Amino acid sequence: MRAFRAGLSLQAALLWRSPGNLHVLATVPLYTLILLAMTDASHQAGLAPNAIIAPTLMALWTMALFTAGDLIDRDRHDGTLEPTVATPAPLAQVITGRICAVTAASLIAFAEAWVVGLCFGVHLSVHHPLTLVVGILTTSLTTACTAALIATLLVLTRGGRPYQNSLSFPFYLLSGIVVPIEVLPHWVHPISRIIYLSWSADLLRSAFRPEEPRQLPMQLIALGLLAAAGLACASVLMRRVLDRVRILGTLGHA
Amino acid sequence: MNAIEIRGLRRDFPLPNGERGALRTALDGINLTVGEGEVHALLGPNGAGKTTLCKILATVLVPSAGTARILGRDVVTRLATVRPLIGCVFGGDRGLYGRLSARRNLHYWGALYGVPGHELRARAAELLDRFGLTAHADERVETFSRGMKQRLHLARGLMHAPRVLLLDEPTTGMDPVSARDFRTLIGELRREGRSILLTTHDMAEAETVCDRATLIDDGRILHTATPRELGALLSRHERIEATDVPAQLLAQMGTRSGVTSVNTGPDGITLIEVTDQDALTPVLRLLVDAGVTNLATTRPGLEEVYLQLIGDRGMDVAS
Amino acid sequence: MNPRLPSKALTVLRHGSAIAVADLAAVYTWKTWLFGWLVRMLSQVVFFTLVGRLTDAGHNEQFLVIGNALMVCAIEATMVVASSAWERSLGTMPLLVAAPTHLAWTFIVRSLQWVISGTVSSLVALFTLGPAFGLRWTLNSAAAAVLLVLLTALGTYCFGLALAALVADQPALRNIVSNVAYLGMMALCGVQVPVHYWPQPLQLLAQFLPLTHELEALRGVLQGAPVLRILGRAVLGVITGVGWLAVAVVVFGWAARRGRRTGAIEFGT
Repeated sequence: MRAFRAGLSLQAALLWRSPGNLHVLATVPLYTLILLAMTDASHQAGLAPNAIIAPTLMALWTMALFTAGDLIDRDRHDGTLEPTVATPAPLAQVITGRICAVTAASLIAFAEAWVVGLCFGVHLSVHHPLTLVVGILTTSLTTACTAALIATLLVLTRGGRPYQNSLSFPFYLLSGIVVPIEVLPHWVHPISRIIYLSWSADLLRSAFRPEEPRQLPMQLIALGLLAAAGLACASVLMRRVLDRVRILGTLGHA
Repeated sequence: MNAIEIRGLRRDFPLPNGERGALRTALDGINLTVGEGEVHALLGPNGAGKTTLCKILATVLVPSAGTARILGRDVVTRLATVRPLIGCVFGGDRGLYGRLSARRNLHYWGALYGVPGHELRARAAELLDRFGLTAHADERVETFSRGMKQRLHLARGLMHAPRVLLLDEPTTGMDPVSARDFRTLIGELRREGRSILLTTHDMAEAETVCDRATLIDDGRILHTATPRELGALLSRHERIEATDVPAQLLAQMGTRSGVTSVNTGPDGITLIEVTDQDALTPVLRLLVDAGVTNLATTRPGLEEVYLQLIGDRGMDVAS
Repeated sequence: MNPRLPSKALTVLRHGSAIAVADLAAVYTWKTWLFGWLVRMLSQVVFFTLVGRLTDAGHNEQFLVIGNALMVCAIEATMVVASSAWERSLGTMPLLVAAPTHLAWTFIVRSLQWVISGTVSSLVALFTLGPAFGLRWTLNSAAAAVLLVLLTALGTYCFGLALAALVADQPALRNIVSNVAYLGMMALCGVQVPVHYWPQPLQLLAQFLPLTHELEALRGVLQGAPVLRILGRAVLGVITGVGWLAVAVVVFGWAARRGRRTGAIEFGT
């Protein structure tokens, strides 16, 4: 736990000291404003949750993709990966702590979007507060696990980096974070369901609807499974990262 | 128990663009022992294998063959017990979080080495003070000069008070004053009973701070000895340096038994090499009698040994 | 006028754009451009266009697909804010300041790759996604679209250059500035909602951005508006673009002078 805590506080300090890493949070109010205007949310209250939730999920995903996803590769580049491996602290714990800090920071997006909504004259009513809390927690957890997978993948595959940027909008589109996936062609649905954001979007939106969230158990199971799958892949790949550093010697600092 | 014990250590790397299976040998059967409390220099040009050896000892690289032990614990199999014992300082000015302050960096690395929370602050403050960084403790490391980063690296390596220190080219980029302070520091660490393996290509450094030095080139150990023994190895000859030696006397010297060579450089300094101590006294007397008062006896420096053993390749790293 | 100036400017243009093209080749291979970048941008267009399906049907989707397809080149042109900061991280900034050419000219040609890539991306979006959402192209309207997309990319590039000059010595802000700039344009310039949706002061602000006018011209082309009106808006777009270019040249001059005075132009990293 000590290594986890050290990683958490290191990343918090790094985020605080380099606001460039938080640039995603600067985009949240604008995306919210654009989506609220597009759905004219002050007149069509039913669409307001979509316009508030989408920028939040976009921020979570972008931070996972770029800030958390870059952690290990950045350490390798800065020459801090090897000294970290040389310490008695388990690398996986340190990285987990750091990813959790990034994910926690990206939750600020939710507050931002909410405030922009209020300024826009949108008053969201939470019909199922527990669903909302559980939704935010499981979404954060799954985001963190997915970020761990990205971080290990990016440091192991040189060819993956050019595509890093392209994992944003195609994912937002496929996961139906604004426009529900029912609007998309049928053959896309199975792909959508592999992307955890699709379950998160449905779950979070259901908290703002008066109907009972009947899909909740299914959604939680799906998110749990995707989190577990991400974590399992990440830990296998983390072992590969350590092998690359220690056995192959190809992740060195020079 | 020895601080470091290396037996038959070998490390091959796949060639980056070579055929499948083609290997480059970075370490080729190294045997080396560093006693507890010893300061040991590893001397060699760039690419000799020094950094590879340090990485293996620091547990960040696994050897292809052979064993290495730190205070009796194997560096490959007993990671959990070995890592807290070692402090490693990889050279260069990378390896720190530039956006964070010096103090924050030390807290982080200390925490990863399991230094308890309440001790972290005191320990970091003490080391910052020791390395003259207190005035800059809360400034971002990216604003530091290279020498300051090097000092912070050393502080980082000492956060958990390790018994064995691995210093890979720790003085690269240091200004002369810092380099002198560094030598003082090594003396202090030795008095505290820490064992140190120091890689360098700076002869003067190895000569002044080390108990023993090992010359390494092309992944092989050429020789291990005290700096003084290494100096004696090259030439068992004693040498006399003198200025303003009369030409007549020079000619006479050349033919004396026990004198192996007489050379006068363009700067007017004459270098006379003699076979042993017995031959030295009569030559000195001759010079004094001839009125030559500006003279000194010298031994070859480690630099000469190094150049001699490694050959011309050594010249490449002299800068 | 100095007779050597045009030839000097041409030399800078030639060599600067060679670096720009080399940068483009370094950032993308044709594969990563096609499957990475283009897919991302097309998805973005579809993402926003489909929002129209939530609110009402028909013409709204056409409005959105035109706006978002043109937005693609504006986004890429705005990347000049970030890529101008690359000079700084490469340590080439002091060398550029020390060179006899005005700093602005070097930066102006330095990142032209985004104009090329942006224009192509926008055109692909207009000609492939457009018809899927009900746009009908004729040879004339397509030719006009090519010109208008190029003008949008160039005008927005000039706007981006001015921003790049403003943050020349604040490299940490470059991502924030470029993101806020293009999202601001996306909100205000009539991409997602008509310009008149916003309060008066914001509408006025939109008139200073080339994208507002070129987008209006492009929609005019597709809706069969009178040629003069289309031309008028296109020219307005060009004028605002040239205005931003002038701002960029002046501010780069300030940045170089201020940098020399304060020592903010660092050698190395």
